[in-house]
Parts: sequence; C-alpha cells; structure tokens
Amino acid sequence: MRAARAARHLGPAAPRGARRLERHLALLRAFWSANLAEELQYRGNLIANLLGVVFWMGTAVLTAALFFRQAPALGGWSFWEVVALLGVFNTVGGVVEAVVRPNVGRIEQYVRRGTLDLILAKPVDPQFHMSFRRVEAWRSADVLLGLGLTSFALVQLERAPSALELAAFALTLASAVTIVYAIWLTLLTFTFWWVSVDNLEVLFDAVYEAARFPVSVYPGPLRFVFVYLLPIAWITTVPAASLIGRTSPATALLAAGVATAALVLTRRLWWAGLRRYTSAGG
Amino acid sequence: MVAIHVDGLTKHYRVKVREPGLGGAVRALFRPRYRAVRAVEGVSFRVAAGEIVGFLGPNGAGKTTTIKMLTGLLYPTAGRAQVVGFDPWKGGASFKHRFTLVLGNKQQLIWDLPPEETWLLNRVIYGIGWPEYRRTIDELVALLGLEDVLGKPVRQLSQGERMKCELAASLLHRPELLFLDEPTLGLDLTAQETIRAFIREYSQRHGATVLLTSHYMADVTALAPRVLIINHGQLLYDGELRRLSEQLAPVKRLELVLGDGVAAHDLARFGQVREFSHPRAVLEVPRKQAARISARLLTSLAVLDVSIHDPPIEEVIRRAFAGASVESTPESTPEHAATPTHQAPVSITAEAERDWWASLAAAERAETVAGD
Repeated sequence: MRAARAARHLGPAAPRGARRLERHLALLRAFWSANLAEELQYRGNLIANLLGVVFWMGTAVLTAALFFRQAPALGGWSFWEVVALLGVFNTVGGVVEAVVRPNVGRIEQYVRRGTLDLILAKPVDPQFHMSFRRVEAWRSADVLLGLGLTSFALVQLERAPSALELAAFALTLASAVTIVYAIWLTLLTFTFWWVSVDNLEVLFDAVYEAARFPVSVYPGPLRFVFVYLLPIAWITTVPAASLIGRTSPATALLAAGVATAALVLTRRLWWAGLRRYTSAGG
Repeated sequence: MVAIHVDGLTKHYRVKVREPGLGGAVRALFRPRYRAVRAVEGVSFRVAAGEIVGFLGPNGAGKTTTIKMLTGLLYPTAGRAQVVGFDPWKGGASFKHRFTLVLGNKQQLIWDLPPEETWLLNRVIYGIGWPEYRRTIDELVALLGLEDVLGKPVRQLSQGERMKCELAASLLHRPELLFLDEPTLGLDLTAQETIRAFIREYSQRHGATVLLTSHYMADVTALAPRVLIINHGQLLYDGELRRLSEQLAPVKRLELVLGDGVAAHDLARFGQVREFSHPRAVLEVPRKQAARISARLLTSLAVLDVSIHDPPIEEVIRRAFAGASVESTPESTPEHAATPTHQAPVSITAEAERDWWASLAAAERAETVAGD
C-alpha cells in the first residue's frame, strides 16, 4: 500500500491541463531535436531504409497479386482493398520503427544497465521520458510511403472518401498507433519482473504479421482473439475499412475507446512494474 | 538546518540463488530459491545543510542502496527519511528539482553529440529559463575549465572531461543537495584532483550539501571533514575523519630508526612489527601504551629515534571492514553534533582492542575483497 502511494508520486506533480501539455510538447521538441542531431550523422541509414521500404512494399503487393491470380477475394476484400490495407500496415509499422521500438524496446536496457535510475531522478513522468526520448526520423519514410500506397489503392478503387470517412480514418489510425504502443509497453513492462525479455519483441513482430491481412480471413476463434484479446484487428483492418467504406464512421469511436482502454490498462501495469522496481530493485 | 534526516532506514530484498551449471539453471527455473539480502540495516544519521559528508564502505556495503532510498528510487523496508524537507518517496517533481544524483558508472550525456546538447535537454527537463541557463552554464564551464571541450562530441572526450560535463549537466538546476556516487571512478589523478576542487568550490559558493561516496580515500580526506562508514548495511562510524583512528584503531605506530644489532624479533616483544628494513622499522602498539613503550624501547634497545603516528586512514578503514569491529556492541555514541542519540552507530573503543588484534589476520586475508 505504502509502496503504491510512493510509486504514484514518482510521476509528475501538479501542473495540469494546458500547462502540462505545453511542458510535454516542449520536452518532446527537446528530446527529438537532440535525437535528430544525433541521427543526422548517419545519413546512409536514410537511403538504405528508403530502398528497403520500397523493396519491401513491392514484395508485399506482388505477393498479394499472386494470391489474387488464384482467388477473386481475400476474406471478402478485393485486391486493391487489400493493397490499401497493406499501406496502413506499413504506416503503422513505420510509427513502430520510428518511435515505439527505439524507445519502448530499450526499457530492458535501462533496467539492466541501471540508467533507469537517472531517468527516475528527473522531474519528468518516467513513462513519457522513456516512451518518447528517441525518434528514428528516417523511418517516417515508411509512414509516407505507406500512406502513398493506400492513396494509390484508393485511386485504383475509384473511391474518394468523404470528409467524415477521412476523419474516421485519422481517428482509427491514431487509435491503431496507440494500441500498438500499448501492446509494446505491456510486453516490455515484464522486464521489471523477468529482467531479460529480448524475445518479447520477436513475439510482437510475429503477432504483428497477422495484421498484414484483413481480420476476416481468419477463422472464427482466431478472429475473436485478434479483435478482443490481442487487438490486432484494430491496427490495420479497422483503419483501412473505415477509409474504403467497409465500416461505418461510428466504428472510429469504438476504436478510440479500445485505444483508451489499452492505454489506461498499460499505464497501470507500468506503474505496477515500476513499483516492483522501487521496492525490490538494487 | 538539517538537510538529511535518516532514522532506522532499512532495506531487505530477495535475490534468486542459482546453483552453477545447467542443472542449477533448470532447477532455478522451476523451483527458484531465494536468499534474503540485508542491504541496509537500521541506519540513522543527520546531515546539516551545507555539510560535505563522505560515505565510505566496500562494494556491497549498502552505500548505493542508501543513496537510492534517499533519492526516492528505492522504497525502504523500514525506517524513515526526510531529505531537504521532503519524504523522498512522496516528494515527486518538486523534490527532484532540489537534488541531483551523479552515478560515476552511469552517464546521461548523449554519446555522439557535444555536451551542450545534453545540457540543453536538461534545461527543458528542469524548466530553466534562458537567462538563468546562460548564467549557470557560464559559471559551470568556467569553474570546471570546460571551454575547450565545447563543440566536441562526447565520445571524443577523455573520461575526466566526460565526468566534468556530467557534473555540469547535473548541476544546471542548482540543486541544494548533491548525491555523488563514485564521481571520480576510473579517473586519473589530475582529473580526480580537479573534480575534488570543483566539488569543494561549488559547495562553498552555493552552500550546497554533499553526500559523497568514493573508493578513493583521497577524495574523502580532501573533501569531507565528516565521514559515515557503512559495512554489511550497518553504520560503523559517524564522526570526524581525524578522530576516526582513535575510534576505530586503538593503536599507534612507532616509526623507529634503529642502531646496529637490533633484529625484528627484538622488537616483537614490544608490539606488532609492521615493517622492518634496517635501520628503519614500524611497530604497532596499543594506543594508550604508546608513550610508555616508546620510553622502554629507547632504554632497552639501540633505538636512535622514535616518532609516534596514527595508522594510515586507509588501513584503519580496511581493517574495520574486514574484521571484528562489526561485531562490537553498540555502547557509547561518538559525540558528533549531528548524530541523534537514538540508534547510535557502533563505536569501537576499549574492548574492541582485543578484537582488533584478532582481526589482523582476517584483514590480511580479506584485503583483496575489501580493499579494492
């Protein structure tokens, strides 16, 4: 009990609302400009990554094309609808590579090397600090190329989304990113109990592959798992569906609800992990 | 004013016990066994504002655990602490603005960039305005002599330069309390001296309180008039450095210049022979009898000169860590002003003398472990 209170107080103190947002935006700017300066020293990465992404997306589209030579639809989705979904898959994957993996994926190092102590001694919410300290900016190419692919698919589908659909897409995409972040943080929070969790990242990558297809291709029980337990369906299927009009814009609100729930649960788990660190530690 | 007030601070935790080999690893996987570690055991002390206190002890003695508790990073098993008026575990951001934590073996500097980038980051983290930032950084750069390293990536700096930049990064928000855990670790002598001079100067200028741990006795003798000595999680000594020898080592050293024909075994009758290379010898004798034994030496042997000294502080402490002093019973309190009356640190006086001699052998054996 006392430990619980203590851990909560490791968090940020009073500043509320606008001031708090302002402060966190300033922090984000400071974090990322320091990190950008660091990354700019490795321009080679940018070019290699661009080529990699283009190649990867080409392969994915080609694989889908091969599949569609055998069958007219994939889980009820047409070829260009699946391509739109692949674009979303790539966009969200880009955010994971740009922000989530470089930060959340590093928690284990922080714990093992003890640099977590330096972070905890700073007057910044440690979850915020650890989640946004770094950015691999060149990975934003994945995001742009992914959105480009989705747009191209929309053109092929001869579909101009309404303003409402676009808004729904934006909200579902934001929810998708939040959900992915929550899954990552949940996995990596187990560091506090098990210390070595390298393989959890691999676990995520394996599960994330399932988001490459619309969730409707999976048989009933698996679909249930992907919608309710491991919310993979919300990462690609829902944003793509809301853009191509396969679901009503209201779904976006549901997606936002799922994302909020995931975020709240993860934060609680995170504090529980930190509490364990501060009471066991050493 | 009291900056740190610690009362019966205790930290126990469990560590997994692993037997060696694959069999042990598999067993540990299914039936983990734990061992309780008493990292800190009922430690009490006070530090006045503006004081520099040395915190000494071998590896694993409980120094870092204590510092982690005082900074709110670890929650204690029992006991209380008040640090600059805050309960460290409830103080939150306002508390964190008041202190700084420097860990000699961990760094916050961004490796591939010049140190200024880390400073700028900390400026935002601590919410420091530009004019104040400029003033502070100018002062720190001048005090630490960092003019030449500005603009150089951290990876190209020497270890000493890096520690100086680390200190600058840690002091931007002008903390009133500095926890410095091994700030001179791995530095060469010149760099150590610079860091020491800086800490002294900074503390004087800003009235900052410093709790300093170090392996290097020189750090402590140069900076801290008062020391806390901890071993096996217990406070062994709390008091002035110069009185440490009286308290902890009930011996004096007689440095002798011998005439012809005096052999080591002749001296052995008078005390413990620590060194012997004719004509010089060092003899260790009980503190209270030093004068009497000196007189007897002069009359009964061909001794040309005798001078009486305290044993070197390093050795006093090393032996204290290695041996009997830990088992001594708490009875009297060293009369240091800041020491509260309750939970007195173990004081080593008369009856420890017997243990002292008994511990000599143990000290020698444990030298490699405790001496670092």
